[in-house]
Amino acid sequence: MTTDIERVTGTALDRVEGRDKVTGLARYAYEYPADDIAYVVPVPAAIARGTITGIDPGDALAVPGVLTVLSFRNAPPLAGNDPELRIFSSDRVSYRGQMVAAVVADTLEAAAEAARLVHVGYDAEPHDVLLRPDHPEAYVPEKVNPSFPAVSEQGDVEAALGDAAVTVDTTYTTPAYHNNAMEPHATLAVWSGDRLTAYDSNQGSSTARDMLAAAFGLEPGQVRVVSPHVGGGFGSKGTPRPQIVLAALAARAVGRPAKVALTRQHMFAVTGYRTPSIQRVRLGADASGRMTALAHEVEEQTSTLKEFAEQTAVPSRMMYAAPNRLTTHRVVALDVATPSWMRAPGECPGMYALESAMDELAVACGLDPIELRVRNEPEEDPESGLPWSSRNVVACLREGAAWFGWAGRDPAPGVRRDGRWLVGTGVAASTYPARRRPSEATARATADGRFTVRIAAADIGTGSRTALTQIAADALGVPPERVDVRIGDSALPTASLAGGSMGTASWGSAVAMACVRLRERLDGAGGEVPEDGIEARYDTADDIKADAAYARHAFGAQFAEVRVDPGTGEIRVPRLLGVFAAGRIINAKTARSQFIGGMTMGLAMALLEESVPDAEFGGFLNHDLAQYHVPANADVANIDARWIEEDDPHLNPMGSKGIGEIGIVGTAAAIGNAVHHATGVRFRDLPIRPDRVLDRAPQIGGRNL
Amino acid sequence: MRFLRPHTWAEALGAKAEFPDALPLMGGTDVMVDVNFGRARPNALLDLTAIPELRTWAPDGDALRVGAGVTYARLVSELADRLPALAAASRTVGSPQIRNRGTAGGNLGSASPAGDAHPPLLAGGAEVELESVRGARRVAVEEFFAGPKRSVLEPDELIAGFRARPATGPQYFAKVGTRNAMVIAVCSFALALRPGEGVGTGIGSAGPTPLRAYAAEEFLAGELADRWEKRDALPGPVIGEFAELVAGAARPIDDVRGTADYRAHVLRVLARRTLTWAWADHCEGGAGCA
Ligand SMILES: Cc1cc2nc3c(=O)[nH]c(=O)nc-3n(C[C@H](O)[C@H](O)[C@H](O)COP(=O)(O)OP(=O)(O)OC[C@H]3O[C@@H](n4cnc5c(N)ncnc54)[C@H](O)[C@@H]3O)c2cc1C
Repeated sequence: MTTDIERVTGTALDRVEGRDKVTGLARYAYEYPADDIAYVVPVPAAIARGTITGIDPGDALAVPGVLTVLSFRNAPPLAGNDPELRIFSSDRVSYRGQMVAAVVADTLEAAAEAARLVHVGYDAEPHDVLLRPDHPEAYVPEKVNPSFPAVSEQGDVEAALGDAAVTVDTTYTTPAYHNNAMEPHATLAVWSGDRLTAYDSNQGSSTARDMLAAAFGLEPGQVRVVSPHVGGGFGSKGTPRPQIVLAALAARAVGRPAKVALTRQHMFAVTGYRTPSIQRVRLGADASGRMTALAHEVEEQTSTLKEFAEQTAVPSRMMYAAPNRLTTHRVVALDVATPSWMRAPGECPGMYALESAMDELAVACGLDPIELRVRNEPEEDPESGLPWSSRNVVACLREGAAWFGWAGRDPAPGVRRDGRWLVGTGVAASTYPARRRPSEATARATADGRFTVRIAAADIGTGSRTALTQIAADALGVPPERVDVRIGDSALPTASLAGGSMGTASWGSAVAMACVRLRERLDGAGGEVPEDGIEARYDTADDIKADAAYARHAFGAQFAEVRVDPGTGEIRVPRLLGVFAAGRIINAKTARSQFIGGMTMGLAMALLEESVPDAEFGGFLNHDLAQYHVPANADVANIDARWIEEDDPHLNPMGSKGIGEIGIVGTAAAIGNAVHHATGVRFRDLPIRPDRVLDRAPQIGGRNL
Repeated sequence: MRFLRPHTWAEALGAKAEFPDALPLMGGTDVMVDVNFGRARPNALLDLTAIPELRTWAPDGDALRVGAGVTYARLVSELADRLPALAAASRTVGSPQIRNRGTAGGNLGSASPAGDAHPPLLAGGAEVELESVRGARRVAVEEFFAGPKRSVLEPDELIAGFRARPATGPQYFAKVGTRNAMVIAVCSFALALRPGEGVGTGIGSAGPTPLRAYAAEEFLAGELADRWEKRDALPGPVIGEFAELVAGAARPIDDVRGTADYRAHVLRVLARRTLTWAWADHCEGGAGCA
């Protein structure tokens, strides 16, 4: 192996496909060519609940160029276990925007025009799309995503809260959020006999292949999913979405390749979203701030189609020491689309509530919020009793405090002014599990001195192709220019999907080990590459089964400075700093982008993003980017991410933890805590909109401006 | 769909007379969104981008005449000294791409209560020039708007441009949105001081149409009548009363972007701030400000 000094992991290598992307050479799903493509435009349901009484395709079929109109009347039944993907399987409508029909035509224009002319008759039933506290239909699910128990209990929380010297009992709410990747969900499906190829935008081609095969009753070997470049997913492309089945269904119906791209508006209906949440957090501590009790009780929504329960309270099971602990989840099945993964499911909304409550506890105890967290550091994972593989949240808080200039901060809220602005600072901790999943990779040396690594990994804009190139180069002991990494194709060795921040850990393990094997073989062959090349393959399944029992998590600390205009309620964030302990950082440049990208989404969660349910008609009111506000450049001022050296031998061959999601975790709480420090008022409902600030303005003195 | 692309203004008026339901197209930043979303299904599009006259502006007597096709980017780079509130509003429109395509004429054409060009045009006392084969007419901006996204434009008419007098005193535009750029105003306000003469106001996004705050203008003009020369500090109650009258002129509603109460409150704040800034400028502009 090479020495540390020559290692390419850790350096800021440019994205290997960066040039292709900025020059437009990189091809995305919808851009693949095929002969004689048919275009598909879905028809969304106009009601939130009920039965389709009739579908009249007459006017649509009369549009020149229209080939067919698909609906439950004529579409073949689909198999598979995801009801969101068994499109056109019945006359039931479960949420507004659900696909009820689709037009296939020679041109996109004809399909779009005809889709408006498909007359769908409904027998609408009263619907319920609003999550609210103590919903009569709320129930405790059997498990929360992906397979945690819904309830956990240790000791006696109620008694401990009763005895505690200091208590906090607060409720926080977060609205629904939409992932809103830049590239819409899109597929080109091409059948050749009973073999199906899908050029598709997804977070895992092996997963998409298996699902597509199941839907059409095929063997996985009959299906190929190709996705070398993906313009973002944020979880919404982790589980395949209806457009991939629709494309395949349409292609088979008309006997031609078929293309579908969802519109931004339709994405708000059928590509998943984060559930809104109502979270009650109760903390009890002794006079010195040591917690004796922690209760985190969550209510959220799922759909009537299938259950998805976000694991929102799960971070409260491991974050702090407290001998008495209770976490619960209750869900209510509404007439809505099924919520799904969105960046850091569980940790993101859950840590917002927990870290806001921690700030409230610090104020109640008269303690600095960093000191409060230090006092509640658990020696081991409080729930499982497992040792930490590494846990450096305190280092993140301390080093962050030094970089941010936290020392000497006056804790008094609502007293700093700069002209018309009220100024404050806030901090929150963050965490995200460090997991890996079985994957396979091959590494091949060719006589020209080059190496090719193959694995069905995904690069959804994160830089994983580049990170894998670095990992392979180091494992092979060659410069990265001599390594070609092939990813994004289910024909490559099977890999786990890009999700749960485990992509690089999972794929990198397989890639590193395949490269080590290849070197061994090369050494065995006397260092000579035979004429027709030499290859090694590695499957990490057994290694992962044998992983020792540790609690593995990345940690971080977020610091924010905010300025609040008490006259208009506008909030600006001039400074945002994240400090992370996430094992070895593999690419300094793309890692930084992941961190600050996550933090930017956290800022948006605090101040901007909010999917407003349409109580009257179902679905969401603000289903476009003019009304669903993701941050503009002008909203993000000085944003910085740093990391501390962490040497954790219990992770994987690279010593890395995932970095894709931790950036969003904690950011919203840090901003909310800073807003409290600036104004003296707690805002417990996200986003902290200007009108919400003004509603509390009498307490801030804003009304008199 | 018919696509008409006249090369002269006369041809354009002729085309509009012949096809009154043709939808005029300038920067397309509203039209193409409506077409893409299926909200507009025009039988014909009347592309005005090939008509050079619409792209020009020039002094005309003591006023400026600005063609309907002058973009926001050019209002900023070429007219910031003469139409400062309009230039300030133009800077807040959309993104660079939108400012390179979008025009004040198109903003008037859409007649949205949230259009950012409207409050400065109202405050600046602008007139809209409308023309058809039947002839030309001028309409004061406040008379131009007929309701939400409706104007007095006749089916055979086009907007030729607008006329406004160059600023003779300080002008301000202030806008509140829920993010820092690319945002439809939750509420906006423009103020123009005309030393020795009077005051102009314009309110955006707080009523069915953009509005002038007449009572506020009249009140402030009275208060300032003998202060223009003195340039002394404005008493707090004057600023407060002005702000109240501005808020009182609004007719806001609740919508996804903000509540009526929030809008009324913020208008008060924006009125106070813009008056404070503008009066300070006026004082600095002359000798001996208190
Ligand atoms: C991303 C984005 C951001 C935006 N941000 C803002 C913003 O911050 N503030 C804001 O105010 N607006 C904003 N808009 C809306 C739009 O840019 C403005 O309304 C702009 O002024 C429209 O001008 P245009 O030249 O593009 O008009 P077009 O779209 O070409 O036309 C608009 C309307 O005016 C009519 N019309 C155009 N020219 C004439 C004419 N000469 N005679 C008669 N009728 C005519 C058209 O038929 C149409 O009804 C935004 C739009 C987008 C897409």
